[in-house]
Order: sequence, then structure tokens, then C-alpha cells
Amino acid sequence: MAKTKRVFIPGCSLSSYRPELVEEVIKYLKNKLPGTGAILKCCGKPTKALGQYDKFKERYAGLQSEIDKLGADEIIVACQSCYLTMSANSPEQKVTSLWELMPEIGMPEGTAAKAEKSDLTIGVHDSCSTRDREDIHNGIRWILDQLGYNTEEPPHTKENTRCCGFGGMVVPANPDLAQKVMDRRTGEFETEHLVTYCAACRESMTKGGKKAVHILDLIFGPVWTSESEFPGLGTPIESWVNRYKTKKKMQKVLS
Amino acid sequence: MQLSENLVREINEIINDCLADESPYCQSRCPLNIDVQGYVTLIGEGKYRQALELIRKTIPFPGILGRVCAHPCEEECKRGEIEAALSIKNLKRFAADMADDPEKWDLSRAPETGKKIAIIGAGPAGATAAYDLQKKGHQVEIFESLPVVGGMLRVGIPAYRLPETVIDREYSILEKLGVNIHLNKEVGKDIDFEALKNDYDAVFVAVGAHDAVMIPVEGSDLEGVLEGADFLRKAGLNQEVKIGKKVVVIGGGNVAMDVARTAWRVGAEEIHVACLECRNEMPAHSWEVEDAEEEGIIMHPGWGPQKIGGNKKVESMTFKECTQVFDEAGNFNPDYCEDNLKTIEADNVIFAIGQRADTSFMNEQLNIKEVDQLTLQSEVENVFGGGDCIGKPLLAVEAMSHGKKAAESIDRYLNSKELTENREEEGAYESKLQKELTREEPVRRRIDMRMLNLEERKNNFKEVELGFNTAEAMGEALRCLECECKECIKECIMLDEYSDSPKELFERVKKDEVDPLVYFSCNMCSQCTIACPNDFEIKDKFMQLRKILVKENNGESPIKGHNAIKWHQRLGFSKLFTTTRAAVDEEDTK
Ligand SMILES: Cc1cc2nc3c(=O)[nH]c(=O)nc-3n(C[C@H](O)[C@H](O)[C@H](O)COP(=O)(O)OP(=O)(O)OC[C@H]3O[C@@H](n4cnc5c(N)ncnc54)[C@H](O)[C@@H]3O)c2cc1C
Ligand code: SF4
Ligand code: SF4
Repeated sequence: MAKTKRVFIPGCSLSSYRPELVEEVIKYLKNKLPGTGAILKCCGKPTKALGQYDKFKERYAGLQSEIDKLGADEIIVACQSCYLTMSANSPEQKVTSLWELMPEIGMPEGTAAKAEKSDLTIGVHDSCSTRDREDIHNGIRWILDQLGYNTEEPPHTKENTRCCGFGGMVVPANPDLAQKVMDRRTGEFETEHLVTYCAACRESMTKGGKKAVHILDLIFGPVWTSESEFPGLGTPIESWVNRYKTKKKMQKVLS
Repeated sequence: MQLSENLVREINEIINDCLADESPYCQSRCPLNIDVQGYVTLIGEGKYRQALELIRKTIPFPGILGRVCAHPCEEECKRGEIEAALSIKNLKRFAADMADDPEKWDLSRAPETGKKIAIIGAGPAGATAAYDLQKKGHQVEIFESLPVVGGMLRVGIPAYRLPETVIDREYSILEKLGVNIHLNKEVGKDIDFEALKNDYDAVFVAVGAHDAVMIPVEGSDLEGVLEGADFLRKAGLNQEVKIGKKVVVIGGGNVAMDVARTAWRVGAEEIHVACLECRNEMPAHSWEVEDAEEEGIIMHPGWGPQKIGGNKKVESMTFKECTQVFDEAGNFNPDYCEDNLKTIEADNVIFAIGQRADTSFMNEQLNIKEVDQLTLQSEVENVFGGGDCIGKPLLAVEAMSHGKKAAESIDRYLNSKELTENREEEGAYESKLQKELTREEPVRRRIDMRMLNLEERKNNFKEVELGFNTAEAMGEALRCLECECKECIKECIMLDEYSDSPKELFERVKKDEVDPLVYFSCNMCSQCTIACPNDFEIKDKFMQLRKILVKENNGESPIKGHNAIKWHQRLGFSKLFTTTRAAVDEEDTK
């Protein structure tokens, strides 16, 4: 068996959103960085957010043992919440964000300048959990620039970004309040079209009344224009179906 | 719920240091700490009566302060950084003009205590102390040497700035409350100070500073040389004042301006004011100098008196150029260029260079200037002193603040309470607010006070400032920036929805009066911390509170909506939805 140097962990929300994107990322990493494995498993963050620390420790230990099983010494993540959780709880592994990695290893083949003709101006929503990670903010802007999209920065951006409304498990606890937070955030943008780099943020922006995509949609999907049909909100059932599909796709590309 | 010691400590830190209830710049700079923002906002809302009542809660002299207060508040007003400070003094006068009605004054008093207090002097310091002490249930007697109340408000500040009727009307609250005012009773002459000390439970000495300071200048014994304080007192008491056509006033402070402007009103035609200081170092407020110049008064900043010329009667005044007022060490040490002289023809020379207190009625052992600055108590435990007589010349509002301080001390003394405890926040202090102005704040011009036409001012003491009309007052009130902290509340929808401020919220947290939903409504986004000048980690407190709630609820979240998460979590860990895949190709290891 080949040695697994690093492992890509797509996280729950991305795999519930669009399995194809996870598949494309793995293919891209395999191509650029041979020696990359992958794990689909929850890190337990939701329990932590609720204050269930004992449960969280137990859950995270489950994930950690999978990482250790592969012997990886680096974790690549595409979710900012995963980034924080894993940085704090996997001291033996180096945790890298896909968005800081891309400028280093280059865009996937054939994606550069592909959207130069797009008529869209896309508003950039930064995740609040990594508000102090300048390299991630820069990476995202680098990617958008490489693709060729015009962008808009809202008044609160980068280290000063505002929460999408999803954080802290507020949506199930206090949906009305969460909706207000979402509406206020989307209200900051002039453009109707937004890009996020977290699937949960994308959902919030959509609930806040905007047309929103994940940055991986821009990288691996079609060229988006004002004519494009933007993804809406999935049902819980669809999410679980997607997760199952993600698992299958991961097993396929890594076999 | 049971909070850990640590958490309680962290919460207390927020409760103590949160700036949510920190006074705005104006209020903290007011020696009386009047709720400026409060009454300005009420004026803006058209609630004049409530605005007035808010001022009256602190001080019964809104019309007096609204006319003559030197407004240290305006110096700190944040608006000043945009275009000009709010016209706070004039808004106070507007509230008084519009809504003050003696019929509606609050004349309530605490139950009689049976204690008797003597106050010497009916100036602002004495009157304020009398008001507070009488309200607290004590019986106050005021002894005043003049035939009128008001002190320097009346015999210093001329009536064209502060009409007598305003003083009499506002002072009338004292007698309505039961204060006995004994006019024409000079302590030391008509009444013995020792007797007061023995017959009363406490004595407050507030005799002001009424003796003019004179300097030895050649010719100062000539006929026509006058003392400023004396001149103003006569005018204030409506006595006849004789003055020639040409007058020289010596001094560069507010008193000199009042002397000059009064001289103009009683018949002088050419009035000169000379002082040692250069123009921008003149001790008078800039607006006092401007108002005087508008009335044709000629300023000679940077000139010191050399000699008064004349034969029996004043004929001229000669000045020498002043090259330095203070030396390098900051001491008053004037230096002159004796070769550069100028002589002005004059019928009168009036000295307005300062006043000192006459406290000769007290025996020599008691120096009233040595009162304790924190409590205003003298070496003799039942004697207190405040206002202009304890040292430096004050503003009227500072004298009133002394009156309040003395009243508080006397009340504590009479109740055998500790005098020094918790007194730091009395009087003016520096606000801890850190408001940053956004450049979006629109410029709004400060509304000027309308003034009596120049021609109408001559030969009379009609009030010069005409007061704001409703439109002007509303416009001015709207300029208030409503400075406050609450940066977190402006940033966080949830804090705004569930609390007035973190200080208020965490006070309730400690009492376990907060709905757990609040803790579970934090997005954990840190936006509050970024906004907070204290960098309070508020989300961290909510996280700790969540943990406690979960622990006390058998490891489960107490929030209904969170039930589903339990199932999502189980699925997220089940084999059906998880996989671990090793790499299928080796990294090139060149
Ligand atoms: C000309 C002038 C203009 C001023 N203009 C302003 C201004 O525009 N704004 C501002 O804020 N401040 C102004 N001030 C300052 C302000 O008026 C004083 O700081 C304030 O009045 C001091 O108050 P007080 O109560 O300590 O003394 P005073 O007001 O001086 O009152 C003391 C009282 O004690 C009485 N008294 C004295 N000795 C005895 C005795 N032995 N027995 C009985 N009674 C006695 C006096 O007759 C007097 O009524 C001005 C002062 C002067 C002189
Ligand atoms: S961390 Fe919590 S309390 Fe602070 S701004 Fe965000 S949601 Fe509000
Ligand atoms: S930002 Fe909020 S928590 Fe911080 S000091 Fe101001 S009011 Fe208090």
C-alpha cells in the first residue's frame, strides 16, 4: 500500500452540499500532491458548540484514530470550522487550509481565466471563524482573480467580517434570530451574487435572499453568469443522500 | 445554575469595567455631572418639561447656569472634533425659558432631622449647599451681608448677562423649602462667628472673594482710580456709579470684560482694556473678549501698567510692553521692555486683576483655605468651607459643585458617617469612553445665539443674549452625537435583542435570571470583542455557561431545537456515512 503523507478531510457540510466537488478536490490533490488520502467523518464540532465537551472529546478521538491509522502527518481541510477544531485537537498533524494551499500548488488544469467573460460581480463573504487568517483571505482572492471574476468587498470583510448567522448552532436554537443575522449580512452587499468558502455560510447567504455559490462551484463548475441557475437550499434528506454519494465517490477515486 | 469561582471572577470583570454606563464626555466634565445627553435628547423630542426636570434633579438653577455657565462640558464635546461643540449652555437656558414653572417645583423634603446648619454667604456655593441640606431634612439658616441674594452672580456678573429676576425667581425655591435667609447680616460684624460655631450643628463658610486686589502703581491714589469688584457691586446693587468718558481697565480676565462692558453701559465712551498676557493667552474666555469688542472696547494685550498720570485726578495711564508673564519655571514673573511705552488719556482707571476673600471674622487659628479638598471639612470638625473663598477663583458651576460636596459632607458628619468613602467620582473627571468618529457624520453648523442689537444695549442693562427659539433649540439638540459605548450592542443583533449592555446582562447572569436560550443564541463570531474597547471575550463566557447548562442537564443541551443534532451526530459517525481512504499513489521523493 502507498504511504499516506497527508489526508484531505472535506467536512460534513461540503459533503452534504455537492459530492462532485469533493471528488474534484481529491482528484486535484492526487494530481498535484501524490500521497494524499481522505477521510469522511464528523469531527464532533456540533457537540462542542453545544457545550457537550465530554461527548466532543469522545467523538474527536474517533476521528483522530482514523487519521493515525493512515499515518498522515498533514491534514488538508476545506472548512474553516474544521480548520480550527483540528488545529486545536490534532497537535501531531499540521493542518492546512485548501485556500492557502492553492496559491502554492497552482490552480487545477484548465481553470485559469475561465470566467473572464462572465458578467458577474461576485461579493466575497469571509468566514468569521478564520477572521485572523490573512493567508486564507488572500488565497480566496487569489483564486477568484485567477478564475477571472469581478469581486465586491462588503463593508465588513476579512478580519472584520460578520457572521453569516450559522455559527454557534444558533439556527436550530433560535431560528428567528439567526434569520435576522443572515439578513443583515446579505444586506451589506450591493451585488446579488455571492461566493463563500464554507457550505454552511453559503446556505445562510441563500437564506438571506442572495444567490450564492461555494468557491469550489466556481473552480470546478461551469462559468457562472447572471443567466446561470444558482443552487438553492437542500432538504435534510438530500443532505444525507449527498453524504452517502460523497462516500461512494471518495471510495471510487481513491481505489 | 452553579457558576464556578473563575467564571464569576471573569463576569465581575465585565460588570465592573464595561463602559456601557460610562458618562459621556460632556457630563463627566460637568462639575455637577448633569445628565446633558439626557436633557438634550429630551429637548430634541420636544419634551421640554421632562428636560427641565432632569436638570432640576441635580440643581435648582437651570436659568442661571443656562445664561452664565462657562460650560466646561462644551470643551469636551465630541462634536467639537467635527465642526463645533454643541451649544449646551444655551439649550439649558431654553429648557428653563420654555418649561420652568415654580408651581411645579418639587418641594418635597426628607423628614425633619432636628439639625441646624448655618451657611455664611448666599452665593452659588452657599445656596446649593442650603438647597441640598434643606432637602435632606435639616434646617438651614443663611447669613448674607448684602441686602440681596446671589453673591457674585448678582454683584459680579452684570445684569445684561444675568437678569436679577432670574436669580430671584430661582433662589425663591430656598425659602419655599423653608430655608431662612437673613440679609444684611455680616458675620464678624452683626453676628459672631464663634456663636454660629457653637449654636449650630454645622457651619458652611461660603463668603466668596470680594476684596479687590490692587498693585502698587505710581498714581494709584489719584481720584478716579477704582476697584473693579467695587464698581461692579455698585452696578449690581443698582447704586449710582460715576464714570468719565474715557476709561482704562487693567486686567485680562472675565471680570475685566464685565467691568469694561458695564462702564460702556453707564456712560463711558472710549474704553481700553490692557493686560500683561498676549491675545491668545488672555485669561478671559474668547467669547467674552469678542462680545466686549463688539461693543467697541479696545484691547491692549501685552501691556503692563507703568504709571497713572494726573494731578489729584486721573488724566492718563502709561503702559510698558510686557515681554514675559511667566518665567520658565511657570511662576508669575513678568518682565518688561521699559523703553517701549504707550500713554492713553483717561478719566478713570479701574483695576480688575483679581479678588481675595475676607475671612477676618474667623479667629486666626482657623484657616478656611486649608479645608480638606475631598470633603471640604476644616480643622474644626463642624466647620466646612467652599467656593471662591477657599483659594482659587472658580466658575459658578464649580462653586455650586462645592456646595453639593459640602452638603454631602455635612450630612454624613451629622449622621456620624465616614466622610471620605466613595467620593472620587464627585465633580468633573475624565470620561473613559473611546468614541471614534466615522467620517460619515454629516456636518451640522452650531446655531449662534441671537443678540440684542448694539444700539439697544447702550445706557441700559437689558439682557444681551436673546435665547433660542423652538426651531433653533430643536436644530441644536439634533447635533448631539449621543456618545456612549455599547459598541458591542451596535454590532451584535443578539446582544441588542436580549440585553441593554453586557454589564446589565451579566448582572442578571449572576442572579440566574437569564433565559438559557440567550447563551445558545451567540454565533461565537467574536464581533463584539473586536468592537469592544476592553476586548471583552463575551462569547467565551457564553460558551462556559453553555457547558454548565449541559452538565446540569445530563450532558444534553437544554434547548429543544438541538434534539435533532443528536441524531445528525449519530449518523455522522455511523459506518453508513463515513469512510477512510489511504493514498493510492506515492509522493515523488526526489
Ligand atoms: C465679575 C465676575 C464675573 C463672573 N462671571 C462668571 C461667568 O460668566 N461664569 C461663571 O461660571 N462664573 C463667573 N464668575 C465666577 C462666579 O461668579 C464665582 O465663582 C461664584 O459666584 C463664587 O461663588 P461663591 O458662592 O463661592 O461666592 P460668592 O458668589 O462670591 O458669594 C459669597 C457671598 O458671601 C457673602 N459674604 C461675604 N462675606 C460675608 C460675611 N462676612 N458675612 C455674610 N456674608 C458674607 C457675599 O456678600 C456673597 O453674597 C464671575 C465672577 C465675577 C467676579
Ligand atoms: S460572539 Fe456572540 S455575543 Fe459576540 S457578537 Fe458574536 S454572536 Fe454576538
Ligand atoms: S463594547 Fe460592550 S462590553 Fe465592551 S465596554 Fe462597550 S458596552 Fe461594555
